[in-house]
Amino acid sequence: MSEPTQGFTAAWRDTALAVLRDKGVLLIMLLAPIIYGFFYPWPYGTQAVTRVPVAVVDQDHSGLSRQIARFAMASPRLDVRMVTSDVHEAQQALWRGEIEGYALLPQDLKRNVLRGTPAVVTIEGNGAYALLNKAVLYGFSEAVGTVSAGVEIRKLQAGGQGAVQAARSRSPLNTQLVPLFNPSEGYGSYVVPAVALLILQQTLLMGAAMLAGTWAEARRLRAGMGAWLGRLGALSGFGVLSGVFYFGWVFFLQDYPRGGNPFGALVLLLFYVPAICVLGLLLGCWFRDRERALQVLLFTALPMAFLSGFSWPVEALPAPLQALRWLFPSTAGIQASLRLNQMGAPLHDVLPYLGALVAMVVAGLLVLWIAATPRKAERV
Amino acid sequence: MSLRGFSTASARREFALLRTRPWDLAMISWVPLLAVFLIWWIFSAGLPERLPIGVLDQDHSALSRQLVRFLDATPGLRVAQQYADEGEMQRALTSGAVDAAVQVPRDLSRDVKQGRVGQIVLLHNAQLGTHSSLIQRDVRTAVATVSAGVELAVRNKRGESMKAARVSMDPVKASMVALFNTSTDYEQFLGAALIPALLHILAMTAGAWAVGRELRDRSLGGWLGAAPRWPEALAALAGKLALPFASLSAVGIAAMLWITAGRGWHPVGSVGWTLFALVVFVALSIALGAFVSSLTRSLRTALSATGFITAPAFAFGGVGFPLVAMPMLAQLWASLLPYTHYIRVQMEQLQMGAPVAYSAATPLWMVVGTAVLLAVSATLLMRAAAAPDTWGGR
Repeated sequence: MSEPTQGFTAAWRDTALAVLRDKGVLLIMLLAPIIYGFFYPWPYGTQAVTRVPVAVVDQDHSGLSRQIARFAMASPRLDVRMVTSDVHEAQQALWRGEIEGYALLPQDLKRNVLRGTPAVVTIEGNGAYALLNKAVLYGFSEAVGTVSAGVEIRKLQAGGQGAVQAARSRSPLNTQLVPLFNPSEGYGSYVVPAVALLILQQTLLMGAAMLAGTWAEARRLRAGMGAWLGRLGALSGFGVLSGVFYFGWVFFLQDYPRGGNPFGALVLLLFYVPAICVLGLLLGCWFRDRERALQVLLFTALPMAFLSGFSWPVEALPAPLQALRWLFPSTAGIQASLRLNQMGAPLHDVLPYLGALVAMVVAGLLVLWIAATPRKAERV
Repeated sequence: MSLRGFSTASARREFALLRTRPWDLAMISWVPLLAVFLIWWIFSAGLPERLPIGVLDQDHSALSRQLVRFLDATPGLRVAQQYADEGEMQRALTSGAVDAAVQVPRDLSRDVKQGRVGQIVLLHNAQLGTHSSLIQRDVRTAVATVSAGVELAVRNKRGESMKAARVSMDPVKASMVALFNTSTDYEQFLGAALIPALLHILAMTAGAWAVGRELRDRSLGGWLGAAPRWPEALAALAGKLALPFASLSAVGIAAMLWITAGRGWHPVGSVGWTLFALVVFVALSIALGAFVSSLTRSLRTALSATGFITAPAFAFGGVGFPLVAMPMLAQLWASLLPYTHYIRVQMEQLQMGAPVAYSAATPLWMVVGTAVLLAVSATLLMRAAAAPDTWGGR
């Protein structure tokens, strides 16, 4: 190599210019995060599952069964589309996707209640879809529970208890649910703040690997450690910008729980982004092909999301995966970001995650030093 | 040369190329196999157990100790920490050391003895959706069990018989059946839905790569000849895509057979029709990839488009967050995505046990879609072959 090895500053400037001039890298590193920042949260805009279409199968035709149906109609979770006495009709509507569940009020429901024998309302929800199922089951069981409580209290009163006392002697223990950090329990508020970190990682990884692959094709890959640090610095600069855009603008604009510890979140970016960029550069060195990064990395977001521990509990992962998942920056990044941005934890609670990211940067630089600095023979 | 000759020659050429390019071969063989295995492995436990919760017992009574024992005995929960005060509990929740905490207030057992309702407080981390909904369900059940025990004992003391007390406590019972009873098993619910989502990404990538690479490497002439006729271009395209199609279909079939029969799950619906739908869905995805490469004449742009269409397909597919709850325009976009339609068929057959008639139309439409995409791609490739100066876009 006749070209002298580039220094830190020159490499920084050249890399920054390369990102801005390379249409492909620019699109994936700077434009894609903005587009995905609005596109990905789009389906979750409404946050909650309400007014799920259901049917009431009334085979009792009594005052009691009609009362349960009325309570179901009043439930904000349910939208009673059909009242029928034919189970098969409800079943077919379910297969056609017109309803997502139904309550079966059997014959003799009222008679059994009056006699004091067990009376059972069967609630069938579409178990194939967890959230719909939950809305159907809870919506109907609240309706049935309210009617049932009314009957019980009337019976207790008939037995000589006062109304207040009767209400109390039912279910002596109650559970009061307090949702923390995502008080409305919105679906988007749960998914998007975590996936934002994954989008950040995937776009940066692809951009950095694409750039390094392009250098490899042009035989401009090998460089001294100063130049590698410059390249890393420039890429990280763009990455931190995207990160601030997400933490600040996207979370704010879409009104996600945020701002627990903004200083901590900024510190996290300073660790998270370089870890991704160094990994991206390494992948580019390995692929030695401009487009390969897209081909290989596109599918990886899916398994990484479920390994990061925000939606699928880590406790349920097989032991080898519990260890392997730390190889992706997203695992530490998502865990730390949720704690800092959404849960408002102090910085020292996320130190282990920052440590994992630092280890990734150090290990990555070491590999770059071994594999991608000029060989001694070339220096001569 | 006959048209079949064009197909065979194209397939042979692709096979020879794949043998010299380990990455290209990997991306349609062992990488997809490993990826679907990984997805299955992640969810292989089926249902998370022993999620860590903390307890703040301010009552220190027999009742509160009984409740804590019940919580710890619930398979889904593990009482990992006990706190001395609210500050300690708050810190554990904020740092994520536990996913939830149960607070048993002072005077709980006194309240209950005096006939007042005792409130147990469950503080759960709603930022972790799956964790918190599983914990809510389990804690509610444990509290309700203890509560029913107390009520039963009280009524018994008053002279009601156990049986009479049971019926009069809940005159109308709600028996909740998650139809098809699969919603609690995440291996069948999420694992089975994610495998096709993953294959969708890999298949469209494979289609885009196979065609786009010829354009990038300026080898379109070597593949199609200088001026291919339309049937020749179509035959060559079919031959080229046959290998990734066969390989990815085999991976898909193996994965779905493993997650059903291999794991002792025998769905009520038709596994055969689901597999047919999956194979057609893979074909459609590959054809879609070939189409975007032929259209853009740039491998990179085609791969970016692949990412845009396939990567968020799962989020728009209605499996996690239902379609009916999405904003109108998002529903419209979702209805344009092939994954949305495929996964409905799979849900109907594997989960809901619907008769095949309900799921018959979608795969057949996908066959038509695949044919149209291939036909249009052949036209676009004919045009591209005639314009060598547009090759080599990066």
